[in-house]
Amino acid sequence: MIYWGGNPAECHPRHFTKYSLTQKGKFIPNGRKDRTMVLVDIRETPSAKAADLFLQIRPGKDFEVITALRAIIKDQPVNPKSVAETGLTVEQLQDLVKQMKAARFGIIFFGMGLSMTRGKHMNSAGVLMLAAEMNAFTKFVAMPMRGHGNVTGSDMVMRWSTGYPFGVNLCRGYPRFNPGEYSTVDLLVRGDNDAALILGADPGATMPQPGIDHLARIPTIVLDPKVTHTSRISRVHITTAATGVSAPGTVYRMDEIPLPLRPALKSPYPTDEEVIRRIREAVAKKPAWRPSPNGQMAIV
Amino acid sequence: MTLSIVKNATCTFCGCVCDDIELHAEGEKIVKTKGACSLGESWFKHHTAERLYPDALIDGKPATVDHAVEAAANYLYDANMPLVYGLSNITCEAQREAVFLAEIIGGVIDSHTSL
Repeated sequence: MIYWGGNPAECHPRHFTKYSLTQKGKFIPNGRKDRTMVLVDIRETPSAKAADLFLQIRPGKDFEVITALRAIIKDQPVNPKSVAETGLTVEQLQDLVKQMKAARFGIIFFGMGLSMTRGKHMNSAGVLMLAAEMNAFTKFVAMPMRGHGNVTGSDMVMRWSTGYPFGVNLCRGYPRFNPGEYSTVDLLVRGDNDAALILGADPGATMPQPGIDHLARIPTIVLDPKVTHTSRISRVHITTAATGVSAPGTVYRMDEIPLPLRPALKSPYPTDEEVIRRIREAVAKKPAWRPSPNGQMAIV
Repeated sequence: MTLSIVKNATCTFCGCVCDDIELHAEGEKIVKTKGACSLGESWFKHHTAERLYPDALIDGKPATVDHAVEAAANYLYDANMPLVYGLSNITCEAQREAVFLAEIIGGVIDSHTSL
């Protein structure tokens, strides 16, 4: 098990005990003793205590480490000088590869420490490639450590409805997918979009400042159980019931298992589902549009 | 006040989505959690069913949900390239509605995955 750029001990406290590290399985009757855990990160977080091996790399060098690992698993030569710039040695990487190949079933859990640093989407792509290529030697998979409750659900729903998991552009009437172009941070920082509907998120507190400025410039609509930072810069805010606490429905766990919610409270506010449906029905009453060949939208 | 107990409740704070939590609810609040981690416990205790906020706000002023829905629909319909973003703290049923909405307004739909 390799955790890369994540700190489950503090961010996903039950990940070790309930899902990954200490649980006993059919082929691993001794649980923790039968597993090897490696942590790759730029600093020694509390998760390092749980790891058998901790590899500290220099910030922003994830892609270089992944690329070197991909070369080493195929016995291709790597430049020790380039590897040294990552904060690790070729021997450390060779040792890691040896352990990876010795595993009967390996997994790389990658966190935002990997996907939000220099290289961004290419780092995630690199880890996925590494896991795919490891399958020439043993069973190996990769799984992102999901931060929010139902972010996996949004991937699933968009996958079966549009064919792509996130960052889907429907402006031409058919789905197009290109992370870096149609992903939110890039759209907002470039100032591409001219309205925004924010559902259960607070980009006003987390986005880069130029993105927040753009949200304040355009008509922004927020659906949230609380009046958030984004609500304060929005034109419209609608309070909704809190998912899982007072709103029922289905959510996906990070390993893509759908689970039903059992809300304990009854909210005085409508659910997100109800409000989005009402907005959709209000839009559907207006004349439909189709994109025309000159790029302008035409009402038909 | 009566205490209601929900067994095997599902926590949606993080992607682990632990579904073995026991919740003790009293009136509008969850007063006790069993089995949840510290993050999950504060998540459940911080979300109450109290009416703490106005139903809706338009330009910062309290409004009815009906007016807010109408205003939202107008803004989204009038835009050339609206963005639908978030989706990570709402149910799959709501996400499905959001994809449908994004399609008829001809927008971009994106979640926290892209971060």
